[in-house]
Amino acid sequence: MAATTKIADFAAERALAKDFLANFAGPRGEPKYLNILQDVANRKIRSVQIELDDLFHYKDADDEFLQRVTENTKRYIGIFADAIDELMPESTEAYAVDEDRDILMTQRVDESADGGADGTDPLQKMPPEIRRFFEVYIKAFSKVTPLTIRQVKASNIGQLVKISGIVTRCSDVKPLMQVAVYTCEECGFEIYQEVTARVFMPLFECPSQRCKLNKAKGNLILQLRASKFLKFQEVKLQELAEHVPKGHIPRSLTVHLRGELTRKVAPGDVVEMSGIFLPMPYYGFRAMRAGLVADTYLEAMSITHFKKKYEEYELKGDEQEQIDRLAEDGDIYNKLARSLAPEIFGHEDVKKALLLLLVGAPHRKLADGMKIRGDLHICLMGDPGVAKSQLLKHIINVAPRGVYTTGRGSSGVGLTAAVQKDPVTNEFVLEGGALVLADMGICAIDEFDKMEESDRTAIHEVMEQQTVSIAKAGITTSLNARTAVLAAANPAWGRYDMRRTPAENINLPPALLSRFDLLWLILDRADMENDLEMARHVVHVHQNLESPALGFTPLEPSVLRAYISAARRVIPSVPRELEEYIATAYSSIRQEEAKSNAPHSYTTIRTLLSILRISIALARLRFSETVAQSDVDEALRLMQMSKYSLYSDDRQRSGLDAISDIYSILRDEAARTNSMDVRYAHALNLISRKGYSEAQLKECLEEYASLNVWQIHPNTFDIHFIDA
Amino acid sequence: MVGPQYDLVGNPLGAVRATFERAAVAAAAESGGHEPVAAFRGKDWGAGEVFRSFLFEQGGLDKVPVLDESNLGLIKPNTLVRFRGMVQDMLGNEFYVGAFKDGSTWRTNKFSDSSPFSMPHPCDSHLWERHLFHCVPVPGQNSWTRESSPGPDVRRMSSCLTPEQREKRKRGADNDAMDVSENGNGEASSSKKPKDDDVQISNSSLEMSMNEEHVPEINGGDHHIPGSSFSCLVKVYDMAESQVKLNDVAEFIGVYTFDPELAAPSDNSDDIMFDLIEDVTAQLPPSKVPRLHCLVWRNLSAHDFLSRPPSVEPSPILLKGIRQSLLSHLTLVLGKDELAAQCLLLHLLSRLRNKVDVVTVGRLSLNFIGFNRESVSIFGNQLNNLIQRLLPYSQAIPLSIEYLNTATLQPRKDNHSGRLVTGVLQLPQGTHLTFDETLLQSGSLTSKGVENTMLLKNLMESQTVEYDFEFYKLEMATDVQLLTLSEGKSNILPSDLIVPFRPSSVPAVNANSEELESWRWYLATVKSLSQSTETETYQIIQDEMVSAMQDDRSLGCSELSRWLTMAQIMAASFGENSLNMNHWQMVKELERLRKERLQ
Repeated sequence: MAATTKIADFAAERALAKDFLANFAGPRGEPKYLNILQDVANRKIRSVQIELDDLFHYKDADDEFLQRVTENTKRYIGIFADAIDELMPESTEAYAVDEDRDILMTQRVDESADGGADGTDPLQKMPPEIRRFFEVYIKAFSKVTPLTIRQVKASNIGQLVKISGIVTRCSDVKPLMQVAVYTCEECGFEIYQEVTARVFMPLFECPSQRCKLNKAKGNLILQLRASKFLKFQEVKLQELAEHVPKGHIPRSLTVHLRGELTRKVAPGDVVEMSGIFLPMPYYGFRAMRAGLVADTYLEAMSITHFKKKYEEYELKGDEQEQIDRLAEDGDIYNKLARSLAPEIFGHEDVKKALLLLLVGAPHRKLADGMKIRGDLHICLMGDPGVAKSQLLKHIINVAPRGVYTTGRGSSGVGLTAAVQKDPVTNEFVLEGGALVLADMGICAIDEFDKMEESDRTAIHEVMEQQTVSIAKAGITTSLNARTAVLAAANPAWGRYDMRRTPAENINLPPALLSRFDLLWLILDRADMENDLEMARHVVHVHQNLESPALGFTPLEPSVLRAYISAARRVIPSVPRELEEYIATAYSSIRQEEAKSNAPHSYTTIRTLLSILRISIALARLRFSETVAQSDVDEALRLMQMSKYSLYSDDRQRSGLDAISDIYSILRDEAARTNSMDVRYAHALNLISRKGYSEAQLKECLEEYASLNVWQIHPNTFDIHFIDA
Repeated sequence: MVGPQYDLVGNPLGAVRATFERAAVAAAAESGGHEPVAAFRGKDWGAGEVFRSFLFEQGGLDKVPVLDESNLGLIKPNTLVRFRGMVQDMLGNEFYVGAFKDGSTWRTNKFSDSSPFSMPHPCDSHLWERHLFHCVPVPGQNSWTRESSPGPDVRRMSSCLTPEQREKRKRGADNDAMDVSENGNGEASSSKKPKDDDVQISNSSLEMSMNEEHVPEINGGDHHIPGSSFSCLVKVYDMAESQVKLNDVAEFIGVYTFDPELAAPSDNSDDIMFDLIEDVTAQLPPSKVPRLHCLVWRNLSAHDFLSRPPSVEPSPILLKGIRQSLLSHLTLVLGKDELAAQCLLLHLLSRLRNKVDVVTVGRLSLNFIGFNRESVSIFGNQLNNLIQRLLPYSQAIPLSIEYLNTATLQPRKDNHSGRLVTGVLQLPQGTHLTFDETLLQSGSLTSKGVENTMLLKNLMESQTVEYDFEFYKLEMATDVQLLTLSEGKSNILPSDLIVPFRPSSVPAVNANSEELESWRWYLATVKSLSQSTETETYQIIQDEMVSAMQDDRSLGCSELSRWLTMAQIMAASFGENSLNMNHWQMVKELERLRKERLQ
């Protein structure tokens, strides 16, 4: 009696399923599933994918029904298939006849119309599978965070689960018998046998009424052409490295792909799958122990390849909310920058620059086909042991697509691309190097100075045109390499030699140097403050076995990634009124350089583009559609700081009299605007562009206020010059 | 609560089932007969408790035989055994029918491979999980650790088996093991169907046992060739995911099972279809890799290997005394080089205390320079011998070009077999490695050699080993003490502390076993001492460091870090749990002497 109630249940469930399929309306009010069914009837598609999202949003959504579908998915696939059978419309278009199958089907339909077969025998009744042209898949919620393989437990058996992992092995695609069809030598009937497991026991004796009555023991012959097969592939999925707890090793899971899902993955793919977690039915010898242990597998229902590009990054869960909250925070620029490699002490400006490298500016394509790159290139140069490589590695971790390599890349492909001979086919094939692999991402090149000469020339092209051209072995082509280059190099003599000029120390050709938007020198300088900080850090670490509190909580890399990818969607423009400002700033840098008798830098039109790029990246961080003046100021400040890091003696020289320099800047500004007042914020902007700190400004303000040169507003610190 | 009416050693499963049935009945009464055993998933119903109290409170531990390669096949299946080993591979979870309803009573299959009761075909059953660990004897385990916990003699215990049967079991295990049955009529059935490969198999098993006798103790090299050595498949129940980690050394006490039906080769032709769902356990034939259903387990520390742990409290006075005797012994072994002995002592006492971001706190790798081939053969061997007798796990690695180019250092996941193929650097925490770099000559490294040197360098610098999982690499934290003997400063293995070695005499000493024992205890105890954190001393040290940096610009983070590490170990070596200025001065003096020598 339990069985009858179950059947009744299933009839009711089928009605629910049918109702859903018939009445679910898509986003534009169209009958989504009926349209799919029509396509199936027209033989355009083979798979019917039922999304749990749709079930959830269905107007007559029944939570319990949804629950039942997720917990007993295998059963409900059958129910949905039955429902689809009932709903299947007539085909509206002519389609190419799939010969064997259709001829067989017409024959079968004719025969059953003749009433030749006695319908009482279940083995003679045509199973619905053989008639179906479609496959049903139930897709898990798209917004749910996928489980790791480790989290799939015995309690998940029979349920629809969503997991993520990396494909480690794929089997060949093989046919799997779904319905075996036999014909009887005696009575000529077609006998059907549904196959649900991986193996089946073939029938040998005709079970038809006629043969039984005649005691003929009709010989059955398996008809391979008439049987229905399904494509079948097995795949091993392994846990992703980031999901493995410390001190454990990754787990694997077997996944079965059927029908349309086969050939969708290759080893090495990072995928998200939804599927039904099932125990493996045993047979043969294994059945002897089947009672005790069960192997399990996942019957795949959907496969999504993991997106690695910023542009395709999908925000998960509450990430949008977090981003919104962060965006409201005024200090987001500092906060994000500090969260990059939080374990590396200091280097705020370098980190800011790296953050901007991650954000980048949009590529521009001019009407005449000229392309202007949006990626920022940064070069970090410095003494050994100043954590350059760690910064690089950290950036690669944060970037969704990043390649870390050293200038002396071990592979023969090197940085750009190589033509290689395929050992099997003897054909020449093109293999991309690190820069090509990092297309639309970031390529971090350590030991940039130790790079091979051939790669270094190729890098010129990559950094400005963002392509790699190759003309080797009869292959002439150019590959895209739209990548931001983050390089790290040691000074020419291993350590920075103070007795030599910066140009001698850097030891990179100007053509290459000018392609970097920012060049940073990180030196290991003797500095009481730094020494104390370092000693304090070391002592703290040894004393408490933890690093000293950072004074802030760094953002998680995942949040960082989400924020940056959201920022990258913004395409800010430079407003007309800023053009003048930027042009003036640029020309003043040029003039300054012309004035100096030993110019260290090469301010070219590239510099102007760099200013624009950095400003746009800053605007993106604010999610602003237009670049503000403050962005330009910050860009100029960063460039100035980067220059100072290189030419420290300049700074020291001017640093002797920083206070009076600040004073003259402010004086000039007041004279320029023809007013007696300079607002504090504005003053700060002005001096920071020249590379002075807020502390120095304050010192200057106090000193000159005591000389009665100006008055300082006690609350706002605005400056009012006292006319002498 | 349950009197030992069952022989817990001889028939542990009886006790398990008895407790289960009792608990099931009680649960059924409580819940009114509705799903009484569902609550037992992933939980202990009292069986573990019974065994724990028997083993640890009633001193039953000594009655449990230790499973090792020598007595495999002698121990009766379904009896209680213990196994000490390192978790070499984690094979994931196994789902099994944990409980089923036989008529009206619930039965359990927990802790066994097969059910003693036939299961009615369609029946109420519960699918439970257990963890599978592949355990091997600890690589580099030194022989003295084995004496510490001897079990009863198995040969005496299994006197019920006649020699022929024993022989039969050993041999039969490899092939059709159906004939090994309890009542001993195996002889007849096997003679009925003699197998062609019978002879061959017994040959190979003979070879195997020969090999096993020659397992070198210093190198433990054979442990790294998969399948060539003894290992054990441990099935652990009811354990939180994170409790046992890879490379943990643990003692598992549980039921040894050997089911002849499962031992039969399962390479049936219908397995061809299973080209991906390879059963990992199928590669570990039960005849060679025993199954152990773990009832109780515990992690082992260095203390657990001491044969008679002195019950005395580690008082500073006592520790100081032992320190002095150990130091003087080290000095003698090192040819009366006091400075080297001091450094060696600190090195032996170092352990990884924590990893803070990228800094490893507490490690102190040591590089003795000034060795050549002759002096290595004299002092190096003495040193190795001593270390072997002092520390539970140690290995000496001859660092030659050939070794670097050929050895498999990196553990690697074989995605075809689904197993982790071990490498030399898969080591338990607290292993001591000695590299002999004097064997190195100029030559070219292959790509494998380069990879191996990178691995070694990483191990030195950050105490991590990258395991290769084909599509990505996973860093595993290690805690390995590294000692390098080289001619000049080793650049392949950049150590924390570089000490020029200046012996003035030939070592000719021997320690008696009593001394050795006290030293072992000393090393294990000092390593486990906790350090308190007092701010004042650290404040002074901090100031001194700053002024030292002002004087010498070449000082960096690593030097400061090393000084503090040495000072802390120095304090611990006197049994003090807080650092004071004395220790700091001693370290500074050591550093001064060392600097002098370096010039």
